Amino acid sequence: MLVLSFIILGVLLVIVQTTLCMPTPVWLLAPDFYYILVGYLAYRLDLVRSLLILLPLGCTLDVLSGTVLGMYSILCFSGYFLLRFASDKLPVHESLYQIPLIGMSYLVISWCVHLLVHSLGIGELIAWSTWKMVVRAILVMVFSYPLFLLFDLVRRNAQRSFVPWTKLRLRADNRRRPQE
Amino acid sequence: MRKKTTRKRSSRFSLVRVVLLAGLLLTLSLIFLVATLGSQKFGSLHRLVIEAVGPVQKLVAAGGASIGNFKSEYLDILQDVLKVREENKRLLKQLQETEATLNRSREALATNASLRRLLEFKNSLNRPMIAATVIGKDPSVWFRSVIIDQGSSKGVAKGSPVVSADGVVGQVFTTSPNYAKVLLAIAPSSAIDVMLQKSRIRGMLKGTGELVYKLEYILKTIEVEEGEQVVTAGYGGVFPTGLPVGVVSKVIKKPRGMFHEIEVTPAVDYQTLEHLLVIEQQDLSELKQVEKKP
Repeated sequence: MLVLSFIILGVLLVIVQTTLCMPTPVWLLAPDFYYILVGYLAYRLDLVRSLLILLPLGCTLDVLSGTVLGMYSILCFSGYFLLRFASDKLPVHESLYQIPLIGMSYLVISWCVHLLVHSLGIGELIAWSTWKMVVRAILVMVFSYPLFLLFDLVRRNAQRSFVPWTKLRLRADNRRRPQE
Repeated sequence: MRKKTTRKRSSRFSLVRVVLLAGLLLTLSLIFLVATLGSQKFGSLHRLVIEAVGPVQKLVAAGGASIGNFKSEYLDILQDVLKVREENKRLLKQLQETEATLNRSREALATNASLRRLLEFKNSLNRPMIAATVIGKDPSVWFRSVIIDQGSSKGVAKGSPVVSADGVVGQVFTTSPNYAKVLLAIAPSSAIDVMLQKSRIRGMLKGTGELVYKLEYILKTIEVEEGEQVVTAGYGGVFPTGLPVGVVSKVIKKPRGMFHEIEVTPAVDYQTLEHLLVIEQQDLSELKQVEKKP
């Protein structure tokens, strides 16, 4: 249920980014919501469930954006592992670096992927522009906090089961009763 | 005893006085009545009465008016305020509805104008085309593509040219049964065979990722002027010949190299990209016709 909820949410975020956040095809200020989800998964969810969510997310992004298939999957997975590694190894208290680290990792991973695609000659990309990428990284950081709240809400609701198993559970009759 | 007799006498005297006074008054009234009825004149008594009653009447009338004013100014206003509030609510709702209708009408007018231009363009080209609408845009900073709402089931094929009423937009990059991805001509991986309309010199139009094209492979020996129209060359039969692509906006003459560096401003306004036409590739449509014949 949790995995499915986050897959649906991720796809919805990508759709919002490609439609409502893009008034023109050359619009710069479209926040990369998907990367915030990547960050959330790295910080809050276990590996297996995160990978199950990242796989369709990367695929959706590859379909709706860009001309190099697989590029977004690389971006999502490398971003996820970098953030996971960093959150495990950094000695500072988690909440202090969570959001800036998402922005920083977004810049680093984007640069690495751009370099990789460019050097392998898989497809022609628009030249790297640091200021544009910094703007996008800032947008990612700005939207991180509200989206983390949303993800927390979704996670809490998704973890609730539809059927109240605890109420339906058969109770043994040898329970300790309060003394009269 | 003596006291009793004195009291009796005085009460009798006062009774006589009252009777006398009443008689006098009655007589005077009678005289006044007879005199008034007889002469029908507004006498001095009448004037005296009116002078005496007038101020009181005036005062009472003013008081009544004040009460009326007070009622109309305060009590009625309170009622009016409530009425006005209701009216205000109703009018506000009406205004919102009217504004919404106006916006819808404006939108319909703009869409109508855009579609009319597109239809005119379609008729002028005389080639089978598929009308499509942009439903999504590439959000990345490294690519320039859009998703349209027509796919292979309607005849959209990979490589099909995509145009708007103003000129060339791009080429279909991938298709699914109901949707297709269009690589915009401003994308760096896009390359279109074009020619300068006036001099008929051919070159290669490449995207830069920004709202400007780069025209390559134009020899320095050729004189290129700013403002010259750039149109499709029609090589390979993908794009029909003569479709508007843009206007030469800058010619950079560098001492080194064989070719000019030319910037071309797109004919299409990429900021308002909405309704597009996908030109069906001729060989594909011919194949379909052949398939249908038996």
